[in-house]
Amino acid sequence: MLETRDLHAAYGQTRVLEGIDLTVGDGEVVIVIGPNGHGKTTLLRTISGLMAPTSGEVWFAGARVDGRSPDLIATDGLVHIPQGDLPFGDMTVEENLVLGAFPASDWRGRGQRLEHVYGIFPVLGERRGQRARTLSGGERRMLALGRGLMREARMLMIDEPSLGLAPVIVNEVYRHIGTIMRSGVTMLLVEENFSHVHDLDARILLLESGRIVREGTVAELEADEAVMATYLGT
Amino acid sequence: MRSFFQAVVSGLVTGSLYALMTVGMTLIYGTLRTLNMALGAMVLVGGYVSWMLFSGLGWGPLAGLVGAAAVTFAFGVVIQQVAVRPLIGKTGVDFEMTAFISTFAVAIVFANVALEIYGARNKAVPPVVEGRLHLIEGVSVSWHQVVMAGVAIVMLVALGIFLSKTRYGLGISAVAQQLDAARLMGIPVQRVYNLTMGVSSALAGIAGVLLASVFFVSPNAGDLPLLKALIVAIFGGLGSVRGTIVAAYIIGLLEAMISLYFGVKWSLPVLFVVIMIVLLIRPTGLFGKPEEARL
Repeated sequence: MLETRDLHAAYGQTRVLEGIDLTVGDGEVVIVIGPNGHGKTTLLRTISGLMAPTSGEVWFAGARVDGRSPDLIATDGLVHIPQGDLPFGDMTVEENLVLGAFPASDWRGRGQRLEHVYGIFPVLGERRGQRARTLSGGERRMLALGRGLMREARMLMIDEPSLGLAPVIVNEVYRHIGTIMRSGVTMLLVEENFSHVHDLDARILLLESGRIVREGTVAELEADEAVMATYLGT
Repeated sequence: MRSFFQAVVSGLVTGSLYALMTVGMTLIYGTLRTLNMALGAMVLVGGYVSWMLFSGLGWGPLAGLVGAAAVTFAFGVVIQQVAVRPLIGKTGVDFEMTAFISTFAVAIVFANVALEIYGARNKAVPPVVEGRLHLIEGVSVSWHQVVMAGVAIVMLVALGIFLSKTRYGLGISAVAQQLDAARLMGIPVQRVYNLTMGVSSALAGIAGVLLASVFFVSPNAGDLPLLKALIVAIFGGLGSVRGTIVAAYIIGLLEAMISLYFGVKWSLPVLFVVIMIVLLIRPTGLFGKPEEARL
């Protein structure tokens, strides 16, 4: 579904990604773990086209997409739930969700999708007329996830769903992500903290200084003491 | 008291027209983050389209409204492609300032092309309807002014519905509020920019048709409307469509009151003083938002 080949990206002179090769197969869940500031968000932004890579290739659903504009990649079925949620603050919850179904093929079915999302996140239904900027941090995260589910997704990319949330809310968010995962969607998830994801059935990549340094299942990595010493805890 | 009511009525009419002009400015500032100085030129184009339909085909100003809206919409898209789009995302270039200058250049080109084609002489366009409406004793308003206000209000309401209910209308607001998220939703940003420029230009073109029957059409017919739109924009703060409309009516009424009590020649000087005071107290304008959230 997704493949990057020797992907490099930089902010000005600062190199952030230094040759990322990763693949996410159809229906597979891949989680990228790494400390803050090592390129996780940049990796997702480069894949979805918000950032142009300095070199390397991105292949999505059988086509080379690096250099394409993000709206085209999104219309091809890549849903990127960005860091910081990026809600449309002055719009209502419902308007935010409806915009998630912007591509013409999704727009027609937006009513049904809306009910589906309200079914998963009842709190969004209760707040449908409320402006997005008045939501709590947890509700905003649900809105971002819900907005991502408004579209027919070939692949879902989620950027650090635990960021800035209280532990109770993080558990709730991950409960929802678990549900979404079990629906069989292809997923690339980024997380700083190992502890949130060790219940998920996924392949894990460790990202350090813009490179992927380790790869394995949750069980394999948990057996490795050196990895656990570095990445367990917070 | 009668003259007071008369001033209120004319203030509401001019306010409606200012709103029509400045709402376009707000939309463009919200999405593209620059001022479009070519909006005055669209007033000019609207006026000439209306005059050509009248003098060439004998069609009245109602046909002018439709024709001018279509022509200025198209010009808006062309201006976006030619004068604004090439400046987007250029590193080391202040987009807001360069786009401001390049749209100002577009305005100069339009005025001079109009001078070349139509000459400097004023062109007269008849009002949409003749006659006056008597409201109460001693207070009347020409039917044309009623139509002006009516058309402006209908357009503003239609714009409001377009922005909050339709797919591309919501897309415009989305691009204005959170560009990255809008792109990730699959919203084609360049198309949204074209649409915004087209719609804003068409609104100015419609204002041009309405104004053509009150003043005359001439190569500098767009200058004063642009100046007034800028005054409303600075006063209101370009923060939201609704705030802009309120600001437009305040300026319209203020201008009418100043003309009534001090004479017409004082309306611009006093407006400038009022704006300076507003900016001293609220630098972002009356309804402006300091952070980047707009529309």
